[in-house]
Formats: sequence, structure tokens, C-alpha cells
Amino acid sequence: MKVPMKWLKEYVDINMPAEEYASKMVMTGTAVEGVEKTGGQFDKVVVGYVVSCVDHPNSDHLHICMVDVGEEEPIQIVCGAPNVHAGMRVAAALDGAHLPGSVKIKKGKMRGEVSMGMLCSGPELDVPAGLYPHIGDEGIIEIFEDVKPGTDVKEVFGLGDDIVDFEILANRPDCLSVWGLARESSAVLNEHFVMPEIAVEESGEGTFDDYAKVEVKDEEACQRYCARVITDVKIGPSPKWMREYLYGAGVRPINNIVDITNFVMLETGHPMHAFDLSKVKDQTIVVRRAHPGEKLTTLDGKEHVLDESMLVIADRENATGLAGIMGGEESEIVDDTASVLFECAAFERANNRVTARKLGIRTESSGRFEKGVCPETTLEALERACMLVNMLECGKVVPGTFDHYPNPAEPVEIDAEVDRICRRIGVDVPAETMEDILNRLYIDTTLVDGKLLHCEVPAFRQDMETEADVSEEVLRMYGYDHIPSTLMNGVTMAGRRNAHTVFADRVKDALVGMGMYEVLNYSFISPRWIDNLGLAEDDARRSAVTLRNPLGEDTSVMRTSLVPSMLFTVANNLNRGNAEGRLFELSKVFVPAEKAGELPTEKRALCLSAFGEGVDFFTMKNIVVWLLAKFGVTAQIEAAGDGYYHPGRKAVMTVNGEKIAALGEIHPDVAEKFDIKGRVYVAEIDLDALQPLEKDFYGIKPLPKFPAVSRDIAVVVDEKIGAGTMLEAIRKAAGKTLEDAKLFDIYRGEKLGADRKSVAYAITLRAPDRTLTDEEINGTMEKVLKALKEFGAELRA
Amino acid sequence: MEKMLREIRERVLKNIDEAKASAALEQIRVAVLGKKGELTGLLRGMGKLPPEERPKMGQLVNDVRAALEEKLEARASELAEKEKAARLASEAIDVTLPGPERSAGSLHPMNIALQKMVDIFVGMGYEVVEGPEVEYDHYNFELLNLPKNHPARDAQDTFYVDDNIVLRTHTSPVQARIMTTRKPPIRVICPGRVYRADEADATHSPVFHQMEGLVIDENITMGDLKGTLDEFARQMYGEGIRTRFRPSFFPFTEPSAEVDLTCANCKGEGCRMCKGTGWIEVLGAGMVNPKVLEMCGIDSHKYSGFAFGMGVERIALLKYNIPNLRYLYENDLRFLTQYR
Repeated sequence: MKVPMKWLKEYVDINMPAEEYASKMVMTGTAVEGVEKTGGQFDKVVVGYVVSCVDHPNSDHLHICMVDVGEEEPIQIVCGAPNVHAGMRVAAALDGAHLPGSVKIKKGKMRGEVSMGMLCSGPELDVPAGLYPHIGDEGIIEIFEDVKPGTDVKEVFGLGDDIVDFEILANRPDCLSVWGLARESSAVLNEHFVMPEIAVEESGEGTFDDYAKVEVKDEEACQRYCARVITDVKIGPSPKWMREYLYGAGVRPINNIVDITNFVMLETGHPMHAFDLSKVKDQTIVVRRAHPGEKLTTLDGKEHVLDESMLVIADRENATGLAGIMGGEESEIVDDTASVLFECAAFERANNRVTARKLGIRTESSGRFEKGVCPETTLEALERACMLVNMLECGKVVPGTFDHYPNPAEPVEIDAEVDRICRRIGVDVPAETMEDILNRLYIDTTLVDGKLLHCEVPAFRQDMETEADVSEEVLRMYGYDHIPSTLMNGVTMAGRRNAHTVFADRVKDALVGMGMYEVLNYSFISPRWIDNLGLAEDDARRSAVTLRNPLGEDTSVMRTSLVPSMLFTVANNLNRGNAEGRLFELSKVFVPAEKAGELPTEKRALCLSAFGEGVDFFTMKNIVVWLLAKFGVTAQIEAAGDGYYHPGRKAVMTVNGEKIAALGEIHPDVAEKFDIKGRVYVAEIDLDALQPLEKDFYGIKPLPKFPAVSRDIAVVVDEKIGAGTMLEAIRKAAGKTLEDAKLFDIYRGEKLGADRKSVAYAITLRAPDRTLTDEEINGTMEKVLKALKEFGAELRA
Repeated sequence: MEKMLREIRERVLKNIDEAKASAALEQIRVAVLGKKGELTGLLRGMGKLPPEERPKMGQLVNDVRAALEEKLEARASELAEKEKAARLASEAIDVTLPGPERSAGSLHPMNIALQKMVDIFVGMGYEVVEGPEVEYDHYNFELLNLPKNHPARDAQDTFYVDDNIVLRTHTSPVQARIMTTRKPPIRVICPGRVYRADEADATHSPVFHQMEGLVIDENITMGDLKGTLDEFARQMYGEGIRTRFRPSFFPFTEPSAEVDLTCANCKGEGCRMCKGTGWIEVLGAGMVNPKVLEMCGIDSHKYSGFAFGMGVERIALLKYNIPNLRYLYENDLRFLTQYR
């Protein structure tokens, strides 16, 4: 909330620079976004009186003016504005003046005539249109007040005042008002808060009931409704001081009646509404819930369809406004409005909030009701508005007030123990100091037996409910800088990471050691990305948790696979000229619950990618194999996998039949959809499946005492048979004495015939307790050969 | 014979001196001391001498042999040293050449910061706990004193899945889950992903990470909170870094504080990074609101506690001088490779 310092100073003495004041407010809990000035980013611009004005002899549009700027002699200024004339008060920039936008004014000659300065337009001084009559119109500014020439123009427009931009948090709606902030400031600065004495002169004829009737039909959503009637209304501009305050607070001045309602809202925190009474049908206002499907066109010209939870202001038949949110078009204040009904009400905050959200409307008024408006002071605000009508002489206040307040708020009383407060905040604040602080905050407090604070909470402090709240009030005023730095006593506790985190960190460390870089992607993606993978219609990954209010379609569903975001990341890097890379992401994927209203299952997933020169399928396979090996896991590998992989370059890895990883080259069609040119290798590892398979390290084998024997075996076999598959078979067939078996050569040649290859293995045998005999060795090799023959292999001649 | 011996001795000694390589030396040794060598031949011919001369001559031959052997050995080690030096000299390489291309990769800077943060709190006796990212409104808001339609919910723009399920806006629901299932003393930290409906810019991201902490025990004070965060600040950013508490409002804590740390860039002198204030706003904290304790089934008369929460990305940005939050989610290798 923006507040001009001048406005605050009407009610509390602030004898320090705005910045220092702001800092004191911040350190006691009223956040400040910043301090700014209301325009006025110029100097040496003064009020000038145009003594004479003649046409320039060498120009068809320039004028030569003699201008009294408060100096001994008038000065000559050449001006091109069409509206300049003798007898006019103007804004004159003198020699050496600085104007907004780094413009500097220097004396000089214009077509042979001396010009000692410049007469300014509104935009040249960056004076907001609407702050002053006719600013923003063609030509130079005309000053209507009878101001002495030479007066600083900033004073005339009320520019250059400090505006403090407060950020009021949800617990202090009372500070969304000048009075509230002045009251808070008075407690902080230990100064008096002086509210104006409220006295209304009722000069109108008759009484309220002669002019209007109000029926409140819903006391739950409308806690209090107050109204007054003003007759003999004269619509016109409000005085300069009021326009200045409104402007400083960021509200556009409109006319005296509307300005009064806005002024009162800013000053007291109570939103008001002004009805043109002649346009209110039967002069009757009904406060009720909307009928289902009822239609209403609000002030902004939009039509809304309402439901029965929404509170409306209506005449006997139709809704004419949304209570506390926005009025209707019909009863708007216009230039010839003659009688006005002022509404000042307290609408219940949750209901107001729900309605505003449902209809997508947010106004100053609805924002305040949502945060909570105090019903106790509603009438006071209405009286303040009537006082202003008196002051501005823009109408006659009719005697009598409508006030419907069926359930006045119960005063809140809190008994707080001094000792417990001290223990909670960790600071020994003397009991008397606490009492003093609370009283300064207008919380009527008495200290009982030096131990107990009996606090009577004023109505505007709806946030105060418990002793903990009292402790915060005491501490923030006493000063958070008094909090000591201590460490807790009590039981020593063993800190630890949970098993999940430990495992994830080890996985990441292993991958980093293998030269991979961790990436972070959003958890929500575009549903199109999932489509890009070309998954089968019934694939589970096609059904994802969908957000009701995403930022955009691109981020509207929760990931069911990490692959799409990984491909997106690879594409981004390639587009930026990063030609090679090895990346991984360890994050969650979300599987929707079967039953509505239940949470999805969150599974940890790991996705790797590698691309660029020297990277192939086996690069990726090695990374996966090494990673599994780190946890003592060996997996079976077979050529299989999802359709988004290259049909001839994909594999699935399993342990005891359970799928643990998949890897392969991304299918060129899929790569293209993600805007990737070139080959990308991806692996997906199910960490939740891997973690339980981890083997503890359980001791070593003794070192061998007997010699090993090496034998090579080369076979010719069909191209389709996997060399790795045969290796597995060798390992099984060779039995206990096998120490190691390795593939060492693959050869293809015409002599072998088409689709045939020669595969050679080196086999090492050893027994722990004896030297192997030739017989044993030959027996083993025969078993190996027999196993290979199962694949149709022949011993190579 | 004596003369012959003298001649052999002088000649061979000279040859040894002149030998240029270990191999030449070996040739000399064989020619003189080998099975068929000169001196061996002489010794063999001793039988022809009269018996009374034999001891004297034997002595002479052995003396020559010993002298030659000693000299051979000395020269051999001298040559070996020289040859080794020559070999080492010839093996010199350009050590400024780069090694093979591949190096280790790196964790994401957000996780580097997070691991360090977790380390600090684990060291202070905190246990890491986790919870779901897609969460019930009940845990994310209601148990934390944020009833439906409460204005304080506005501070956290929320992604909804349905009326009762949200993407968690903070990791506080993990605290709520812990409080409803465990008995004090409680001392936990909850790191994890959180979501807010903010468009991405230099300081916002719709997905980010938080680490929150919760302590509940008897006699926990706001001083303990300050002490804990002071210790964290020192360990995270170095000696001389302090905390400053400013009053604030969070529905789940009372009193609440915004916590600033001494600007690590200027050490509190005031600079561009801290807008001249010497302080940087880093985290929110406070004493757990007794209402929250009661809603979670903990006796608020017996127990008190504190909670704090910080954005991991913000900590990382400050720690590693990252100018723009977007860098963290763009995953550009030119950025990531700076952390290896």
C-alpha cells in the first residue's frame, strides 16, 4: 500500500527522513517495499505570469512572451504553444533547469529572438494526467490558482512528496489504511496518534427513511451494513489536497463524491460504495445471495452469471452489484447525480474471496474484504465520508443513519504469562516493559501480580488470539536484535540422511565420476512431449496427473517419464552449439492414482543421455553396467525395448526377470520431433527397483595357490547370435573351475559365408586346491564347445 | 712372470678406464677374468712353477685379480649411473601438454549447495525426512494454520490438481506429516522440490527446491533458532557471516522472522549485491505456532519448537555468484561444466 508521508503526518509526528522511518517500520514488522517520490524529477521550474505575448516576426507559430518569474524584471521566453496568451500563469523552466529525461534548458536565441527559458507542457514535466485539470491536453500547462510568480511548480502540483510503499502482510489488514499505519507508527515511534474528531453537520431535509430503504437478507455474509443519504449533490472536481493524496496513493481522482469514497477507503481501510439514489429502483437496496443463474453487468461492462453462494446488492427484483467487489452500471455516479446513498459495510471475507475468484474479478475493495475488514469501525468510516461532504461542500447530509449490525464482535481477552513469553522468545523482557509495549499498541493491558498480562484486544486487531501472538507483539517492539544466539539443551540426537538420500547421492557420485553432468528439469511437461514418444495407446505413461491451473499447456502434466525432458535438454544444448555431452537427471515420475482424490504414486527415476563424437551404444551400456556393478548388481541384457529407441540398437536389462534398466539409441523419428539432429543415446534406470538389490560387501576370495591354464576357442556362428549371449553360455557351461572368460575377437569374411561370423573367446581355468590335469581341462572345454553348438556354432577350422 | 702380471694389471686398468659402456666393460672382464681369460690362464699355469714360488706368485695373481675386480666394479657403477642419467634425460616429456580429454562431470550446482546444507544440519543432529510432492491440501495448508480461503494463501500461488490435492508450495507438509506421526523430541530437515505458479524470471521459477527444518522439544526458545541459523550461516558462507532477524508473518509460526545474512560479497560493508544494506534476505523462520502443534496432536504447553525454511536455489545463487535463476533450469553445458 502506497502512502504519502504528508498524509501520515496529519495523524502522527514523524520527525525523521522517510528512509529512516521506513527502516524503523521494517525492524518492527511492517515491511516496506521502498520509498519513492511523486514525480518532480526536475528543478528550476517556477510559476510564471505571462505579462505580454506577441507573435514572433520570423515565424508563423512562435510567440515572444515577457514572463514574470518573480525576479526584478520579467524575462523574455519564446514559446510555440498554441494556447499561450497574456495573463496566463504557466510553468517556466529557467536557464540551467533539468527536466525529466535528461533534458537541460539553456538560454539562447530562437530565430533571432532571445529566449531565457522554456514554458512547459505536462508531459515535459512528467506530471501525471489527471493530477491537475487539463494536464495532458494540447499545449502548455495553465495554472489556475493565484500563486505568486517564482513559486516552485512542485509545490503547486504537490509533487516531490515521499511515498512509502508498505507491504502489508495477511495478519495485519488494519494496516491497509492511513489511520492504521499512523496508529502503528505512533507505537513504533512512541508518538501520539491523533484521529480527527468526527462530527457531521446534518443539513439535509427529512430523515434517511424518507429517501431509502435497506433490507439485509443474509447476516452471515453481510456482517454489518451502514448507509447514509446525501442530497443537493454538486458533482465537480475534488480539491487539490485530496487529489494529491489520492494520486500519491496510486488512485486516479475522478470527481468529489467518488474521490471521497476512495479517500475514506484509503484512510480508514473501509471500502465504500456510492449509489446514484435516483437510479436505485424504488429507492430500495436488498442485500441477498444471488439466484442461481442470475445475470449481472458490472461497472466495467462485463456480464457475469452468478450462483447462489454469491452475495449481491439488488433492488426488489434484480441484482445491481456484487457486494464488496464491484457495483453495477445503472447506479453509477455521473455528472448530474443529485442525490447519493453512501454504503459502508462489512462483508464476510471468505465468501468475498470465493466469489471474486470464481468470477475472476479483483478490485481494491474485494482485496480488502478478502483480507478482513473490521465491522466495529464501519460506521466511523461512513461518518468520516459525510464529514468530507461537509468539508467539500458538495452536498447536504440527511439526518439519520441506517445501521444493521445484528451480531457485534465479542471483544477478545488474552491472559498471557510473562514467564512463558520470556521462555518462548529467549529474551528476558521485564514485565513492566511488556505492559508498556502492549498499551502503546492500543492493547489495553494490565499486569497482574507481576506475572500475568491481562490483555483486552482492540477490535481492529483480529490477528491477536493467543499468548504466542502476545509474545510476538512484545518481541517485535522490544527489538528482534535482543534475541540471543544459543543452542538448545536437551537430548542429543543422531543426525543422519535417510537411506533414500544416501543411495541417490551414491548413484550421483558414481555418474559424476564417469564424466556425467547432472541436470534439473521441471516436473511438469507438455502432453505433446509424451505423444512425441509414440507410445502405444494403452501405455501407462500416457495417463498423467494433470494440473487444473497450469502456467501454460507446455507445463500442464506431471512427468511419467524423464525421457522427454532429457531429449528437450539435449536439443537445447545442441542448438546452443554444445556438440557433445553426457547428462543425467535423478528425479520423480508421477503415476496417477486409480481412485480419484488419492495421491499419485511418486517413483524415483534416473535418466542418462550421451551424445556427440565418440559416443555409441556401448558407451551408454558401459555406464549402466558400471553403475549397476557399483552396487554389486549384474543384469541380463537382451535386445528389446520401447518404440522410441532405434529398433536395432536398444536393450533391456533385467535382474531375476525384473526390468531394472532400458537403454538405446533414440529413434531418428523421435529425435526429429524433439528437434535433434544426430544420434542420442539414452538409458533409464529404475532406482526404486535397484536399491533393494544392492549387495553388501561380504569378504574376499583367498589369493590362488595353484597355476591357471588359458585356452582359446574360436567358433563360426550365425550373425544373429549374440556374442554376449554365447559368453553367458560359456560361463554357465565351464563350471566351477572357470576363473574368467572373455571375448577377444570377432571376424567376418567371405570365406565364412554371408551372415556368418567367427567369434573367439579366451578362457582361464583354475582350481583353488590343485593343479588342473589335462583331462579335467579338456573335459571342461568340451562342455564349453557343446554349449556353443546349441547356438549352431561350429569350431573354426 | 711378475713382469707379465704387472703389464696385465696396467694394461687392463687402463682399458677399464677407457671403456665407454657397460658392454665394453663386460668384454674386458671376460677377456681377463673369464674362464678362458688371461689371468685365469696364468693361474692355471702355476703348476709349472717350483713349489716354493707358488705361494708368492699365487698371492701376486690374487692381488692383481682383486685390484682389477675392484676397478671393474667401480667403473661399472660409474657407467651405470651415467647411462641411467642419459636414459632419464632422453625420457623427458612436455609436462604442459594436456592429459586425455575426459574428466569427471559434476552435480548440478543446486544439489552441490543442497548437499552442503544437509551436511551442516546432519552434523547438528538433524535427520533427513522426505514426503510427497503432490500433496493433500490438508497437509500443505490446513494443518499449518492456513484454512481454505485464508488470505495468507495468496502469498503462495498454488498449482491445483483438484480441490483437495495440490503441488506442494513448500516442504512444510513434510513437517506436518512428521508432527502427526512422531513424538517429540523431533529434529528433522526436509529438503525437496516445491512448486509455485510464478512465471520464470531472474529470481522466480515455478519449480524450485526448499530445505526446511523443524525442532520440537521442551524449552526450545527463539534464541535457539537464532543460534542454529548463526551456525548454519558460518558454515555455509564462512566466518564473520551473521544473521539478522526481522519481524514477519507466517501462519505456522509465532513469532515469525525474515532472516537476513551478512552479505558475503562485501562482508556487510554494503555493495551492489545487497543494495548497499550489507544484508541479504535469505530465509523465513519462527517459533512453531502452538495452534499448529495442537492440530498435529502435540501438547503445546509441554513442548515448543522452531521451524525454518530456505530456498536452495537462492542459497546457491548467492554462494556461487550465479546472476540469474534461469541458468539453473536451462541446463546449458557451458554453465554446468563450470562446476566440475
